[in-house]
Amino acid sequence: MRSSSAIYPLCLLVVALAAAQTPPPETTAPPPVAPQGITVVLDRSSQVPIVTLAFPAIPGTSALPGTAANAARELEQTLRRDLERSGIFELLGPEQLGVLTLTGDLERDADQYRSLGAAMLLAAEVELEGDRLVLEGRLVDLASRQTIVGKRYRGTFDLARRIAHTFADEIVLFLTSKRGIAMTAIALYSDRDGHKEIYMMDYDGYDQRKVTAHQSISMSPSWSGQGNTIAYVSYFGGKGPALYLADIASGKKSPLVTEGTFNASPSFSPDGRRVAFARALGANIEIFVCDRDGSGVRRLTNSGGIDMNPAWSPSGQEIAFTSSRSGSPQLYVMDAEGSNLRRVTFEGEYNDGASWSPDGTRLAYATRVDRSRFDIAVLDLVSLAAKRLTAGSGSNEAPSFSPDGRRIAFTSSRAGGTQIFAMSVADGSDVEQLTREGSNWAPDWSAYLR
Amino acid sequence: MTRTRLSLWLAALAIVVLVPACAKKKVQAPPPEVPPAAVQPEQPATEVEPRDQGAVVDQTPDPLAGDIVAVNEYVTRNGLLGDVYFDFDKADLTEESRSRLAKNAEWLRAHPEFEVRIEGHCDERGTNEYNLALGERRAAAAMGYIASLGASAGSLTTLSYGEERPQCGESSEGCWARNRRAHFLITGRVAR
Repeated sequence: MRSSSAIYPLCLLVVALAAAQTPPPETTAPPPVAPQGITVVLDRSSQVPIVTLAFPAIPGTSALPGTAANAARELEQTLRRDLERSGIFELLGPEQLGVLTLTGDLERDADQYRSLGAAMLLAAEVELEGDRLVLEGRLVDLASRQTIVGKRYRGTFDLARRIAHTFADEIVLFLTSKRGIAMTAIALYSDRDGHKEIYMMDYDGYDQRKVTAHQSISMSPSWSGQGNTIAYVSYFGGKGPALYLADIASGKKSPLVTEGTFNASPSFSPDGRRVAFARALGANIEIFVCDRDGSGVRRLTNSGGIDMNPAWSPSGQEIAFTSSRSGSPQLYVMDAEGSNLRRVTFEGEYNDGASWSPDGTRLAYATRVDRSRFDIAVLDLVSLAAKRLTAGSGSNEAPSFSPDGRRIAFTSSRAGGTQIFAMSVADGSDVEQLTREGSNWAPDWSAYLR
Repeated sequence: MTRTRLSLWLAALAIVVLVPACAKKKVQAPPPEVPPAAVQPEQPATEVEPRDQGAVVDQTPDPLAGDIVAVNEYVTRNGLLGDVYFDFDKADLTEESRSRLAKNAEWLRAHPEFEVRIEGHCDERGTNEYNLALGERRAAAAMGYIASLGASAGSLTTLSYGEERPQCGESSEGCWARNRRAHFLITGRVAR
């Protein structure tokens, strides 16, 4: 349908997206205020799609010249997937809406959309301004016919995906008061070029790029809370596993902890000032912590056997880790200074790979179901009840929560080799394969990037 | 001296030189597929010129004097240093692995000139992170036993590869068993 700002004259913000490498600045305008009588506040704990959104085809695309039309189509596809993936919309696309006879006049069309169950409408247009693509989009409440989010973005063709991500995140922020995750990234390691190297990719699997080129084994990436640094393990230089930092903007790598024969499993504290890791003292592997410059190394655990794979809680107050002290690998939580240790998993003979939910109430982890298969489970830290999210689809390991707590990235053997997937935390649905080249391991979802 | 007599003489020399080495090796029970005799043809006959001196000069190239890659190949081929295998999920030494380690220790005691790294490996069935720790435990268990038998701990180090560098890539019981191991690698010579 065609729409113009004369029909929906609310909060039209202009955000020009520069063609530079750096992300565009967030819009500084205040978020639009929902008009009276519109109830759009969603239950934050709800994980099911609760808004049925009509999203007709974006008009204007076919009138554009070749490369601009391609960019516009990419923008539209990206926006649709972002909104679907957000977990808060049930989308009605051009196919479902094809049964309607729309007039282009919202007053008359709104009830038609509502007859299909739609509560909201996403009306968007793309046009060309010189060598720039312009997206004008409105989220409309169909009951009141009022625009509740209105945005206008401009950027070069190569920013088509970023324009879509930015708009999707604004919509999710407005409806849930929590930012969307379309601009976040996932770190991983992959053997696709013959060596195991650290990579990063957009949250939807696009733009996969290499972070390290040590031509050795590099593994176990962990984002800093600010998203500017990745801590990782590497064997380069003929050494055993040691810890390094990769600065994302400059590409610079620097040693973090390299003394001794075994330093592994780094996990940044949320403020980015410390790193927890595992170190071997002979056959005894313990959790240690150090400052961001590698100094101030101190030991947190003291037990025979294996203490491994620490994960710093979002509050910075606690550290979850895996310990064999009971005789089998189980998850434990302790204060970040090493006190108040408690065991949190009691079911299953082998649990590892804790990842905290962003609100700090749950741990995702891998639990062994038979000798060669794991499944992803989520543990409630109050009740200690666990819920399994995968079943019967290969071996599933290394879960990592998205920063909005709605999705989990993980590895699975279900498609052959080991690949990275993402799924809904609510029920393990909406599974999406994010990697396909070589084998890929250890996804670590970034915090919100600035 | 005719050609024939020279050949006979050389054969006798080869026996004199190799018998003590073989006698020593007998204790080490080389793997059945590679007999220790395989080292014999390596000496080039033309380089031996015993007429120059009254005493017999052994000019057989010392297999342990070459580059480290060749030394590793030699000790592996002749079963002087062998891999130790582990049960599923375990870093405990079995009777079989103890007896293999005793042989490794015997050779290491006789060759303190080498720096040796014990590499711990796992099959692919645990998690990557926990396997990294398990591999270190396996290497440390092997090193602890070797050290208890008097092999020089100063020239021994451990390194865990977890499941990151399997020697066998298939997902089968046979491969998994081969990948659960501690591997002995000579990395250099101790600086004097």
